[in-house]
Amino acid sequence: MTKTLLATALLAAAGFAQAQSATYSIDPTHTFVTFEARHFGTSTLRGRFDRKEGTVQFDRAGKSGKAQIAIDMASVSTGVGPLDGHLKSKDFFDAAANPSATFVADKFVFDGDKVTEVAGALTLLGKSNPVTLKASNFNCYQSPMLKREVCGGDFETTITRSQWGMAYGLPGIPDNIRLLIQIEAIKQ
Amino acid sequence: MKRTLLAAAAAGAALAAGAQPVSYRLDPTHSFVHFEVMHFGTATLRGRFGPLEGIAELDRAAHRGEVSLTIPTRIVSTGLPVLDSRLRQGDLFASEAYPEAYFVARNFVFEGDALREVRGEFTLRGISRPLALRATSFSCGLHPIAKRDWCGGDFEAELRRSDFGMSFGLPLVADRVRLLVQVEAIRDQ
Repeated sequence: MTKTLLATALLAAAGFAQAQSATYSIDPTHTFVTFEARHFGTSTLRGRFDRKEGTVQFDRAGKSGKAQIAIDMASVSTGVGPLDGHLKSKDFFDAAANPSATFVADKFVFDGDKVTEVAGALTLLGKSNPVTLKASNFNCYQSPMLKREVCGGDFETTITRSQWGMAYGLPGIPDNIRLLIQIEAIKQ
Repeated sequence: MKRTLLAAAAAGAALAAGAQPVSYRLDPTHSFVHFEVMHFGTATLRGRFGPLEGIAELDRAAHRGEVSLTIPTRIVSTGLPVLDSRLRQGDLFASEAYPEAYFVARNFVFEGDALREVRGEFTLRGISRPLALRATSFSCGLHPIAKRDWCGGDFEAELRRSDFGMSFGLPLVADRVRLLVQVEAIRDQ
């Protein structure tokens, strides 16, 4: 899907030499982006993206990191078929013309050994804007199945979709969309 | 199932308060239960059930209500078909033996005119336990498209999956499960 896109992002990220940096490959089975939007001001509508890939490099001693994640916009899943179709259309994601959203992060904030914040740029509908993900949980563990270290956490942010040109239905359909990211990445 | 019970309770309530209970039907496309459980103390594992069907009666003036929700457990969706299949198995949701989970509540707790909590009973794998749903938002109005009375909101609850006999994976996959309930209901014709 996005091999060229990822390769480009990785090449850009590799410009910085990280002596103690370890590379982790995102585990797609434990990594998802869930979005939340208020529906008519009453209940919260939720959806997720089922296909994604990426890598993270981070250096816990040097307190730095980078991440590159690509999300397949056509893999949106709300549980309501017609809504998935509408979201993929030109009104929202325009998935045919913009099949991937990418997040390239170049700033990791640590509190001791734990990542508390990841800052970077989100590219959606061909436009890039800065986005900061705040961690509500971060941990590394030795996976008994994979026999490797796995690091990950729960991150969240709220984006204003019109900043990326996604203005359909405003203001009845809200501008502010909360993103909840669960991520686990396997040490390579 | 619970129609007669609800009707009887509504009649009782109406006699008592001279109040007007209104019958609502859940809008399935806006009624979902999402669950969250911590995986290896690291990242949250999420899944959902829905679209969901159900009925409710609400008497906002008398501050009373009843709700009955049916959850077909085989429709569990985590984004991973392999995990969905695993969850349907006998030691987890046991969807073949127990195709439906239920939430039934008759105790609607109001603070003034604001709905705060819905206290009832959740039945999963044939085991029933008390469950209270806390309202984080709830409001009623005129549905902008259907042009009928309409109520909706978000509710949260927590349970221990081991209370329902779903102990697989403890403690690396947490016992505590958070439920996020989205519900919208439109007045019956």
